[in-house]
Amino acid sequence: MVELARKPVVLDVPATVGALGEIAAFVLRLAGRAGLGKGATYRIRLAVDELATNIVMHGYRGGGGRITVRGRAGPDGVRIVIEDTAPAFDPVAGRLPPAPGIPPERRRVGGLGIHLALTSVDSYAYARRDGRNISTLTVKADEGTDACPPRP
Amino acid sequence: MPLSVSLSIEGDTTVIELTGELDAKTAPEFHQTIEKAAGHGTATVEIRMAGVGYMASAGLRSLVFAQQKVGGEVTIKVTGAIEPVARTIRTAGLDRSIVLSDD
Repeated sequence: MVELARKPVVLDVPATVGALGEIAAFVLRLAGRAGLGKGATYRIRLAVDELATNIVMHGYRGGGGRITVRGRAGPDGVRIVIEDTAPAFDPVAGRLPPAPGIPPERRRVGGLGIHLALTSVDSYAYARRDGRNISTLTVKADEGTDACPPRP
Repeated sequence: MPLSVSLSIEGDTTVIELTGELDAKTAPEFHQTIEKAAGHGTATVEIRMAGVGYMASAGLRSLVFAQQKVGGEVTIKVTGAIEPVARTIRTAGLDRSIVLSDD
């Protein structure tokens, strides 16, 4: 189990494309606090960015809403919880693994973003609770655990 | 987080050079440049990405758009991408149709 600091830091932003930079900066600060290496930092940033982008583009469907990001940094890694009140959406079910038989230009790139997110982290969990989508992501500090997905 | 995009022609190659971060916010700028590049009618479109420190799936969407825009006879080359960016391109399987090169 990843041993993390008890007190989480919280960011609450409107679900807009403009807020994605703020979310990225928040994640990068946490990664820095945990002393993550370059690879792990890139992976947690990519995963949170893809999931948040998905909430903005498809979750609220331009209808407005908020995204809450909670993070904990510790010597062993970073854990991030992303919450939104958009309709229920389980990223694991919406994931689109690369399909070698289909030309890339005919694939749904959106589902691929979720695939990128889920293969970038060391652990991922989804829950729907009290009308909220709750995603929990963990990236370990150890660069040796770099989760590189297999070639499609 | 900003992205700078430049467009030039070198012989029979249209060169797009990107510097910064390619994500949902900045990808539309890259998109517009691809539209211009597609109009040049060169045999190759080279996308120089050595200066791109971060790319999300929005960047993949732009590369797919580039493929569709230039058609099958034009080669699209992505050069100089750092490893996590190259990995993202490979994860999408785009290295099957786009030439991914370290140079």
